[in-house]
Amino acid sequence: MTLPGPLVLVVEDEVQIRRFVRTALEGEGCRVAEVETMAQGLIEAGTRKPDLVILDLGLPDGDGVRFVQDLRAWSSLPVLILSARSTESDKIGVLDAGADDYLTKPFAVGELLARVRALLRRSKLGGEAESPLLRFGDVEVDLTRRQILRQGLPVHLTPIEYRLLSVMLANAGKVMTHRHLLREVWGPSYVESNHYLRIYVGHLRQKLEQDPTQPQHFLTETGVGYRFQN
Amino acid sequence: MSIGKMKHERAWQAHLLAAAACGLTAFVASPLRDRLDLANTAMLFLLTVALVAVRLGRGPAILAAFCSVALFDFFFVPPHLSFAVSDVQYLVTFAVMLAVALIISHLTTGLANQAREAKARERQTHSLYELAKALAGAVTQAQVLAASENFLSENLHAETMLLLPSAMETLRVAGAMPKSISLAAEYTARLVYGSGEAAEGEDSAGGEGHSLFLPLRGSTRMRGVLVVSVGCGDLEKLRHQRPLLLAVASLMAIAIERLHFVEVAQASQLQVASERLRSSILSALSHDVRTPLTVMYGLADSLALTKPALPASAQETVIAIREQALRLNNMVGNLLDMARLQAGQVSLRKEWQPLEEVIGASIKLLGPGLQGHPVKVSLPADLPMLEFDAVLMERVFCNLLENAAKYSPGSTDIDLHAQARDATIEITICNAGAGFPPAMLPRVFDLFERGCVESAVPGFGVGLAICHAIVEAHGGAIHAFNPKSGGSCVCFTLPRGIPPQIEGESDPGETQ
Repeated sequence: MTLPGPLVLVVEDEVQIRRFVRTALEGEGCRVAEVETMAQGLIEAGTRKPDLVILDLGLPDGDGVRFVQDLRAWSSLPVLILSARSTESDKIGVLDAGADDYLTKPFAVGELLARVRALLRRSKLGGEAESPLLRFGDVEVDLTRRQILRQGLPVHLTPIEYRLLSVMLANAGKVMTHRHLLREVWGPSYVESNHYLRIYVGHLRQKLEQDPTQPQHFLTETGVGYRFQN
Repeated sequence: MSIGKMKHERAWQAHLLAAAACGLTAFVASPLRDRLDLANTAMLFLLTVALVAVRLGRGPAILAAFCSVALFDFFFVPPHLSFAVSDVQYLVTFAVMLAVALIISHLTTGLANQAREAKARERQTHSLYELAKALAGAVTQAQVLAASENFLSENLHAETMLLLPSAMETLRVAGAMPKSISLAAEYTARLVYGSGEAAEGEDSAGGEGHSLFLPLRGSTRMRGVLVVSVGCGDLEKLRHQRPLLLAVASLMAIAIERLHFVEVAQASQLQVASERLRSSILSALSHDVRTPLTVMYGLADSLALTKPALPASAQETVIAIREQALRLNNMVGNLLDMARLQAGQVSLRKEWQPLEEVIGASIKLLGPGLQGHPVKVSLPADLPMLEFDAVLMERVFCNLLENAAKYSPGSTDIDLHAQARDATIEITICNAGAGFPPAMLPRVFDLFERGCVESAVPGFGVGLAICHAIVEAHGGAIHAFNPKSGGSCVCFTLPRGIPPQIEGESDPGETQ
């Protein structure tokens, strides 16, 4: 006997997009519920308690920020946003309201599935770190001993760099807006100082990436923020 | 009948009346001659003189004084019915009567004049008030002109002409049917407009009269020139009324300025409305075009991923569909961005950031779009932060890199390097392709320009055009060239500016 797969709620008004998203998700063993409007989406999310919500930002009845805020009032279930490219400020608004990740239309099915998997894995862990020992690329981070090794050699990080790294690691796979990172690392009075963040992410890339100009782990979400990818 | 003749006649009547009044007094007093004391009779005459002075003015009053003296002497002073005077002291009476007549007439005429002036001033103030009211309600320049024309012709019997600057700063006579203006007057008007000082001149229409040229001085700038013209005899009157005319001019300047600002406000309101419409059309278009593209791309992609896998030829077709959908999406993105940029409604979200970040993001975003060409990035270690809109700059890099990849043979490298100059940072992207056709070099950034008329390499001229637009919006410049070593390069600059200071971090080294 197999356990039922995780339930994904797809809030999207375009039937053809729902169709291939459903096909892809069911191929992964997920169960899929579909709704066309945000209002229905909120009701379904309340009654069916899905494991993940995929939300299109371009819905006719929709204010995505309201949706996420309402949802976050009672649930921390992961939310993946689908949006067009030219609406950075909308994306930032929704992510700051509590959405976890976004995909830009048009998106590849493989990319969608990767994001869904990452979000489901995160929520299953309940926000706890998998283990105090993390590995990415040729880097090893020991969170208990605050030690970072690269190719077996210790790497020196300043306190801010270390704080930034640990926030990014704790939110791996998730998009973090500039505002969010600045608040977490520097404090609320720095939320407008994006250049601080950019400088320090640059430092982390210099110290931990193989090619800092073409990073593999500390990824830029242009105009929005950063994502750490394992 | 002329005004002068009428005045003349009225003066005669007044004098006759004065003489008649004295005669009447003598007639009334004569029966009482024996009962009244002579001093009291003199009082009666004095009263008459005073009344005449009050009612009829100075001339008749003096006449009355002389008449009274004569009649008093002739009829009342002994010897009667003779001008001979028996008692010398009556000469004092005569002198006093004359003096009283003069003093009273002087006082009363002075008072009358003052009253008349006050009345005239009141009339003027009232009509100025009426003018101000009319100007405040005016909604067109024609109404401003009509109101001031009415005022000046009623109060000064003057002709009015209004000169307003056109867009080219040349003065034009305002009005639906503009009056003609002489060359000399036009010259004077221009001087007045330039200097802001009122001036007198010849008649504006080239006639016999005189004109006064008054600048219309608004709060921010000169708004025009008012020309007031009168007949040849009335120049003094015109000078006399100069303060009034200056008041009229400033009222008109305020009205014209108000109309100007109303126009400006309406124009900007209209612009805001049309921009809002345009941007809502663009975003609706963007949504409507992207939705089918997303469907096409997603369906093709899921078809490519079906298990069991499709036969090889079908798989190839599906991948081609997916690729074309993606390319179409890029074109739509470029076109929409271009439309936004050309409409001038893109507000740059400039932030200080390192260049390498946006380069890395662009390479990552392009992914398969680079067709396997590796990008060699070389940036100086001390490259300062630059201020730019990351999303737009990402589009510049994506377009340039994709273009470089498209025209590169085999799997040759694409070279990206940056160099700091005095006031700019220079970024160059080169490939090892055939180079731009030399004739095309100056025009590669024009909209819809492509190397060959019908090239086998897919492309769209809007890509480079939008790079041009974005770089220029950032205050930089872009150009293309073919280096001697072969290939083609696109080089663009961004201004360096003054990057913000980053506070250093005290580092106890605790994470060692």
